[in-house]
Amino acid sequence: MNPKTYNRPLYQPAAPYDQTGLVFFPAFDWAISPTHPEREERLLYTRDQIFEEGIMDLPQIRQYQPRLAELKDIARVHFCVPNVAAQASEAHRIAAGGALVIADAVLSDEIKNGFALVRPPGHHAMRVAHGNRGFCNINNEAIMVEYVRQKYGLRRVAIIDTDVHHGDGTQDIYWHDPDVLFISFHQDGRTLYPGTGFMNETGGPLAQGTTINVPLPPGTTDEGIFYVLDNLVLPILDEFQPELIVNSAGQDNHYSDPLANMSFSARGYAILNEKLAPDIAVLEGGYSIETALPYVNLGIIMAMAGLDYSNLYEPDYRQNRFKENRNRMQQLEKIVQQQYHLFQRRHQLTAQGRPTGEPFYQRQRHIYYDTDQIREQQLETLRICPRCPGYLMIDSEAAGPQGRIKVHCISIPQQACSGCQRAARDHYAKMRRRPPEACAYSYLQDRPRDTYQQYDYHRQREQTL
Amino acid sequence: MLIGIDVGGTFTDGVLYHDHKILRSMKSPTESDNLQASVLAVLDELLKDTRGSDIARVVLSTTLVTNLLATGGGDKVALILIPGPGLNLRQLRFFNFAYIVEGATDFRGRITEPLNKSQIERAGEEIVAAGIDKVAIAGKFSPRNSSHERETKQILLSRHPHLQIITGFEVSGQLNFLRRTVTTYYTAVTKNTWASFATNVQAAIRARGIDAAIDILKADGGTMPLPVSLQYPCETIFSGPAASTMGAYALTLDEKTSVVIDIGGTTTDLALILEGEPLHSSRGALIGGLHSNVRSFATRALALGGDSAVRWQEGKLTIGPDRLGPAACFGGPVATPTDAINLLKQGKLGPLPPSQQALEKIARPAGLTVAELAQQTIDQAIAQLLASINDMFTAWEQEPAYKIWELIHRRPVTADRVIGIGAAAAAFMPLIAAKLGCRSFVHTYSPIANALGAAVSRPTLSLLLHADTKRRHYHLNIDGITGSCNSNWRLTDAKEEARNQLRKIAQQRGIGHYANQYEFFREEQFNMIRGWSTTGKLYDVGIQIAPGVIDGFKGVQP
Ligand SMILES: [Zn+2]
Ligand SMILES: [Zn+2]
Repeated sequence: MNPKTYNRPLYQPAAPYDQTGLVFFPAFDWAISPTHPEREERLLYTRDQIFEEGIMDLPQIRQYQPRLAELKDIARVHFCVPNVAAQASEAHRIAAGGALVIADAVLSDEIKNGFALVRPPGHHAMRVAHGNRGFCNINNEAIMVEYVRQKYGLRRVAIIDTDVHHGDGTQDIYWHDPDVLFISFHQDGRTLYPGTGFMNETGGPLAQGTTINVPLPPGTTDEGIFYVLDNLVLPILDEFQPELIVNSAGQDNHYSDPLANMSFSARGYAILNEKLAPDIAVLEGGYSIETALPYVNLGIIMAMAGLDYSNLYEPDYRQNRFKENRNRMQQLEKIVQQQYHLFQRRHQLTAQGRPTGEPFYQRQRHIYYDTDQIREQQLETLRICPRCPGYLMIDSEAAGPQGRIKVHCISIPQQACSGCQRAARDHYAKMRRRPPEACAYSYLQDRPRDTYQQYDYHRQREQTL
Repeated sequence: MLIGIDVGGTFTDGVLYHDHKILRSMKSPTESDNLQASVLAVLDELLKDTRGSDIARVVLSTTLVTNLLATGGGDKVALILIPGPGLNLRQLRFFNFAYIVEGATDFRGRITEPLNKSQIERAGEEIVAAGIDKVAIAGKFSPRNSSHERETKQILLSRHPHLQIITGFEVSGQLNFLRRTVTTYYTAVTKNTWASFATNVQAAIRARGIDAAIDILKADGGTMPLPVSLQYPCETIFSGPAASTMGAYALTLDEKTSVVIDIGGTTTDLALILEGEPLHSSRGALIGGLHSNVRSFATRALALGGDSAVRWQEGKLTIGPDRLGPAACFGGPVATPTDAINLLKQGKLGPLPPSQQALEKIARPAGLTVAELAQQTIDQAIAQLLASINDMFTAWEQEPAYKIWELIHRRPVTADRVIGIGAAAAAFMPLIAAKLGCRSFVHTYSPIANALGAAVSRPTLSLLLHADTKRRHYHLNIDGITGSCNSNWRLTDAKEEARNQLRKIAQQRGIGHYANQYEFFREEQFNMIRGWSTTGKLYDVGIQIAPGVIDGFKGVQP
């Protein structure tokens, strides 16, 4: 568990492809509300720390400017109700766009890896977006992953969610996708928002074992998280062989975070990122804005850039302040063993999961949007296809302070077979002609063609992105 | 009457200016090992028909400190760093006598670790034993609380009163510990050499009967009184490109967007004027490859000039990076871009045959006609320049923004005009302007615009005020000035204080008459929320006297 020792001097010039890209976008003029944790001040001290550190002057670091994500980039992932513009403000589009800038630079080999240090966050935003959940409207990582799959032809991607909260939005988006490995470790959902992320959440019937949840007992320390990394996350990544590794990098596992109860340190975050070696990290949560964020963010940058972080510590950090206890370690050992077993049986489980003769699989869900106080009912219908992961239909009805709305969504994944593609497009055409009762919009997310349609029944108008 | 003198690497230029006319101008080779002589030679020439007592201002721009730093000269300095948590500076290998001392201050200016006094005492012994008598001290977050730096200085002085010590908070109050370290260190390295040069030149000027103000041009395009420069020697680096840029500015004085192109013998310097305002670099001038805190124009230098040697090597045409002498048409040994233009313009610049012969030596083995070679040379030189110009615009467009408003209101910039500076400018400008699709501007006085720029530039002063109402204090980025503030301070109070401080400092520096020409360039406020309620505010206010021309200057008659 000792950090590697480095010989590289601070000022040795780095070859361009050996640089770490950084988008720093603190959105100093944006807040959910003046006293909300997601407010202007959140990255202020992080700015002070990285500016004073002078880290952006180092040849190992290359700073990039974010851009606005296109509406189409967002529609590739989300069914935004009623439309993309309504859910994605400029702030959201810049945060997602920051991730896209880093992705472009990594995939065109301009840099070896990159960190989108942006806000607002996104990992609680699900496929259907009626409003803000857990401070998130749109899912920055998913938007980036679908963008690089579309633009650079990538297929196998791993998203490791290291935020203390379960990445339920990302899990939802990749639930039925066997080519995106989603691993989330987080404080146990019985003790923390959003109350999900249990071990039995393992993915849809045709994508079993590529969703892996690791609920951690409150108080877990650096040592515990390294144990999970070394014995579960890294071996799985080794076997899965993703073309891109994304760290959905929340910083609220920190011992000082006001919203959670874990005992992770800034140096722990640096070691985590060194072990994980993500191609791209995207900032998620983290609300200990003075005590943790300045040091954690610096640690992630230093680790990704291969800079020596042995002198990085929080002012109140004392060695051995947090020790892993036997009881927690035993729990972790059990979880790791069980989830590794799950991953290894994924093909077998998926084969078992194809119910014989049933053409469709359905599940009912209830989703709560804490920030916007919206309650959503979903009926998911997945085509069980012998040749591909199937296309997905979602009937969604939401009720909140703004009223009630019902929509119908159809998603064709990139890997869909031609039969599923045809069937899904026919279904959308049929839905356009004959609206379901009280339905305001129908959506078609056609990833193979990269076109995104939305039909407004009231105005009888179609919009295409 | 005003005098401006720009001591460049190759030439020293000077002008005598009065009432919108240039009465005299002068260009003479720089004696690189005796800059004072170069200054005085030009000064005496300018004063030939003028009495010293008629001179109201002398402005100097010199490469002294730039040269000193480039050649590794100056005094031997020991560095004491108080970094606290962060980068591991034990790997910072660019200074020889560097000591790292325990102690830490955080971003709010709170002391998070006490100083390790015995480490400082030990460092002091070693420094003195090594025969070093200058020390630079830099602590992380010292602009937010300088007590560690001050205490370190006290400890050293109490045992070794002869030490000359520079502290980081006095040199720069901007957040960037590495740049502050570099700037503090090099301030200590150059301070004495600069001081002896400046005081000697001042004495020589006074001996010529001039009792007017003597100002020094800074990298940011503004001037500072000579006595102030003794404290900030590093501010004088890169004043050459600043002089050219301010010269271009002074010759145009409008709101257009221009590319300033200073074509010298060996190099070309580029700068931007965006809607009438010269563009500063966001990163600070480079000293020995390291970023400093010295505010400078966003300039770019190309190893390509009017006298660059043209060659045919391995089937390819090369231009520069060296200069073997003047252009062939002015008696030089080899063909140059100037000869190429001279050939295509049928001897407009100088005698045609030498250009022709020099080009022919290259054209024949290359299998080209002389005209083809000349055209290729020009095309290639212009292409190189254009690439750099586009690069500059792109860099500007990609300057980081940290607010949504800034990002979405950004629009691409295009040049309205190219402004040619320097002797070779006239020949090249129309060609570059044609490629950029903009106008070309070359003034009669373009060849000595740098000296004019020095003569008519006004003083600049830039203040950053950071206030923390919870800690009830504020600090400035200059001279380590701090003060206390009320817990109910508003942004307007912070701005008022910044304005008062600007006035006070301007007065002290003898530039008080410019104190009213200020502008605010930053106004930021943050609520500090703890436990769902506001417990204080943080303000960042920037106020400056921006680069500009002196009162009453309206341009120069051609
Ligand atoms: Zn979180
Ligand atoms: Zn299929």
